[in-house]
Amino acid sequence: MARFSPECAVVLLEHLDTPVTRFLLSLPPLSRLFEAQKKEESSFTTEDAVLASVGIVKCSPDNGLLVSESMFLALEELIQACCAEDEGVPIIMVCGPKSIGKSTFNRYLINLLLNHLPSVEYMECDIGQTEFTPPGCVSLSHVTEPFLGPPFTHQHTPHKMVYYGQTSCEQDTERYIDVVKYVFNSYKKEVPLVINTMGWVKGEGLLLLTDMIRLLSPTHVVQMDVYDWKAMAPLTPEYVHLAPGLYTKGKQQAKSKQMNLSAAESWKSSEGDEDTSVPDYKLLYIHPEFPRAGVAVHSSILRDMSILGYLGQLQPPDIGSVLPLHSFVPYQVPFNAVALRVIHTDVAPTNIMYAVNASWVGLCRIPDEIRCQTDGPVLLTQTPVCDCLGFGIVRGVEMEKKLYHVLTPVPPENLRLVNCLLLGNIAIPNCVLVSQEGIEGEIPYVTSEYNYNILGSGKLKKKKRFKKREYTYQCDYT
Amino acid sequence: MAGGRQWLSGTRRWLKPLRTVVAWRGRAEWDQVMVGLYCGDGRLQQEALDRVSAWKSRYGPKMPLAVDCTAELIRCKVLDSSGRLRSHELILSYGLALVRFVNLITERKQKMVSIPLRQLAIEVDIPIWVVDLRHELTHGKLPRLALCRKGCDVVLDWLRKTYWSRQLGNNLCEESEEEEEEEEEEQEAMEANTELDNDTWEVQTPQHEACQKHKEFHEKVRDVLISYKDEQFRVMQTVQSVSKSRELWSNSSSEVDWILAQIKDLMQENRETVAEVLLSDGFLIPTVDCLKMLNIKYEANKEVWQFRIPQTFYCFWQPLLTGLLSRSFTQTLIDKMFMKLKECSDSSELRPQFLINWISEMLTSIARVNSGKKRRRGNKRVYVKELFLQKVPLQWIRLTENCLEAPCWATPHLLQLILTSMRPRLPRSSRKNLLYLTSIYTEGGGPLSSPGLLSNYSEQPIYTIESLQWRARQENQVKNEGQAAENQEDVLEKDDGLEEVEEEEEEMVTETNHLEGLAHSDNVVAIAEKKAALQGSAWQITGDEIQWKDFPLGKLPGQTDDPDGLMLDNYSMMSLLDQPVRDEWKSPNTNSAELNIPVTGGLLWTQNDFHKIKSGLQLF
Repeated sequence: MARFSPECAVVLLEHLDTPVTRFLLSLPPLSRLFEAQKKEESSFTTEDAVLASVGIVKCSPDNGLLVSESMFLALEELIQACCAEDEGVPIIMVCGPKSIGKSTFNRYLINLLLNHLPSVEYMECDIGQTEFTPPGCVSLSHVTEPFLGPPFTHQHTPHKMVYYGQTSCEQDTERYIDVVKYVFNSYKKEVPLVINTMGWVKGEGLLLLTDMIRLLSPTHVVQMDVYDWKAMAPLTPEYVHLAPGLYTKGKQQAKSKQMNLSAAESWKSSEGDEDTSVPDYKLLYIHPEFPRAGVAVHSSILRDMSILGYLGQLQPPDIGSVLPLHSFVPYQVPFNAVALRVIHTDVAPTNIMYAVNASWVGLCRIPDEIRCQTDGPVLLTQTPVCDCLGFGIVRGVEMEKKLYHVLTPVPPENLRLVNCLLLGNIAIPNCVLVSQEGIEGEIPYVTSEYNYNILGSGKLKKKKRFKKREYTYQCDYT
Repeated sequence: MAGGRQWLSGTRRWLKPLRTVVAWRGRAEWDQVMVGLYCGDGRLQQEALDRVSAWKSRYGPKMPLAVDCTAELIRCKVLDSSGRLRSHELILSYGLALVRFVNLITERKQKMVSIPLRQLAIEVDIPIWVVDLRHELTHGKLPRLALCRKGCDVVLDWLRKTYWSRQLGNNLCEESEEEEEEEEEEQEAMEANTELDNDTWEVQTPQHEACQKHKEFHEKVRDVLISYKDEQFRVMQTVQSVSKSRELWSNSSSEVDWILAQIKDLMQENRETVAEVLLSDGFLIPTVDCLKMLNIKYEANKEVWQFRIPQTFYCFWQPLLTGLLSRSFTQTLIDKMFMKLKECSDSSELRPQFLINWISEMLTSIARVNSGKKRRRGNKRVYVKELFLQKVPLQWIRLTENCLEAPCWATPHLLQLILTSMRPRLPRSSRKNLLYLTSIYTEGGGPLSSPGLLSNYSEQPIYTIESLQWRARQENQVKNEGQAAENQEDVLEKDDGLEEVEEEEEEMVTETNHLEGLAHSDNVVAIAEKKAALQGSAWQITGDEIQWKDFPLGKLPGQTDDPDGLMLDNYSMMSLLDQPVRDEWKSPNTNSAELNIPVTGGLLWTQNDFHKIKSGLQLF
């Protein structure tokens, strides 16, 4: 080692072969996941070829992670704040439009912090692109080791997690705020906290972000934007002090309610003295130079991947090969021992098992005792904000014996605490259902006869804006 | 080469479309819901709507529009017949459902530049008065209830005919109502039939007569293709600019449509001949004059075009090809191209060059369409249309064979295109080997060889850490056992790359052999541990003798396909004390189910009262 100068970097390459990766590679659409992308030019020297065979290729300099001046300054300041031993630990909130590089920045920051500190807390509020958990969750994690790969390579159990049940929060911002509050309450303020927020910064999204800043009272807000303040106005303490939120009011607003919702009221009761002073945090602006951060792979694919990464934990650790999901022995639990709730969709109670069967469920714990005089299922009338201990697939619903059969990597010590199943709008990745092998006959929910070319067969397309005609349409038909 | 008959059966096999995930367990459930929604009996309709609510949960944001729209309209009808709403309220309900239907369905058809709603409605056969009704509902006076009811019925009928009856391969729809897709399918079936007929026909008829007929037919196809060329050149002359005319070509005119229809007609008679004429000089293979007219410089250096058809020439033929390239014709054309390539692979004229480039263009376009990617062209200014609009499953094995039968300098490239698009894929090792072999075979030979392009494949095998480790292991083994040493060494030196792959496979095989036993014993231990950890809880795990691997997710041993199999007749509702109350499900028929609210016995306040009181509390 003495022969290496300080500028040298030693890279240890290990063959990536874990139960999770083996599981991922066993699914047909992912079988080439780790193969290098084809390179156009073939100007390899021999050494390059050796490196290329293990996936290391030369990239042009602008493909790398570029630390811009503003990012460097922000990092320096944040590290200093985190290492300083004076009053309180920093709470760092990172925000900015989607695909700007929030996650990249978070990783870089946390990995750097871990050079100085034994651990950092990470609060995930971006339910669409979660770092450590399957999608649709708000969670609080203890990070002790640097994380480098994409989210599906480092799924781990956070110490607090709530299943929101959807990958965007537009439809129920009220519950989203409740969930964020609930998770944040378990933060002990002993180690620095990095909060990741959603890329929804327009319209209501900005109002929600304003609420979040008021609610979580960060010490530092990192705002990322490509062009100076183009996507959103600077979230200075003064701005946040005056600006209206979705559920909170700005300083100058009249007392008349802007929203007649219970959350707004409960908010007021819990944070009684909201209007006293300007929030006290430092705003750090970052102009990132990550080329096309977060756009290389479609976000829905990344979500599916993190679910698959999570399910990969079911694979036994020491067998060199992959067992298909449906071959595992499931857990079973009686209908009346766990409460059930479908989030975000109204399902007729008589038909609820049609929604539950072969679906992705959050395995949760509510403080209430499940009491039920019959042996039928227990349906909740409200969606609880409660701890989520993990996830599973309802492998089958046994109507006669009134049992749910559940596949889950949640360890039995935790599973025994689960008394509530939450069913969100997040689906098992299609490839899990489609690529079940060794099945004779039809696979439920899988068909090759559904024709997407027939009008109306597709889903609602989101907010597609059509150009208005600027000239009269030239009609070609005569 | 495979005969027509074999080919036909092959086509059937490959035509199997992609498997997708849907919200219904199986066909029975789909049929039940469709019948339920359209039966006219309020109770059954409500049951079907309840099932659709579960589908909606399964689909999440991916719920098919047509199902959603149908459910919304049926809901209105159920409300209407229940007599619970007055006419004004009903108008509002019907109104929203109708507006949503017209907007959502036509929006799917919108292009980049917005097309008037009326025009879209005509295209998809929605009566104009329904569009007018939508307009009245959103911008004008509220229409009368009778009109809303009528609109609802008409639209439901439209949904039944265009969506429900045609989906899942149902062929319940009336003959006259077929649309493009089915026509296409039928056309394909006919194409396939004519081919069979041709075979038999040729055997029966005297040779010269057949010859004569063939000639006439050939001429007919030529004439039509010439009329296409003339039309394209005419368009070009009107604008006097090549780039302008590219644009004009891509918006196919009624004239071109008419020509297309004629060729399609001819194709039904004999597809092979159409392909043959297309590949004769002066059409897809241009003459030098033709290139001059289009202002394309001919480069004798074959690498200059990089397996692309010059853009202007591509645009010239694209409307025709896009129109003609059905699944079966694509196969015919590419097969023919390879055959022609075989005949001329050693000449250095335009012909092999264009054949290679057309094959390459078509294969890359197929790869893009099959994988759902968008076109990327170097020249971004010009919008270039795709050759294929839909996925094209081909007989890949047959293509591979044809490709290998026409070896030339470009074979490795073409083969690679085939191998990457091929479904089901060949094993990786076979793909690799095939490519190696082809590049070795074509490398030195012929005036067409082009070493620059082959460097990719002809390089030294690449040693990976695994292959070196494996080699070390092998050598140790050889030493220890002291036998067959020369043999082993021999094999190793031949080709490490190949050996490595094979070895990997061997390992896999032995692993899977061990697997069952290993997994079993492992399972027993793991399950016992889990059982112990769950002692005393409601969660259990049973290591009983169920062979879970025989049952797909969503199905349990002994479970039938009965679409009513998961219906609940008994459940209890539970409300939570410390949780916010929001849009809860209000069961319309509480009498059918038991309703226990635990912990509420004797409370003076309702849950809502309780929450109001709670939220009013001021804690300091």
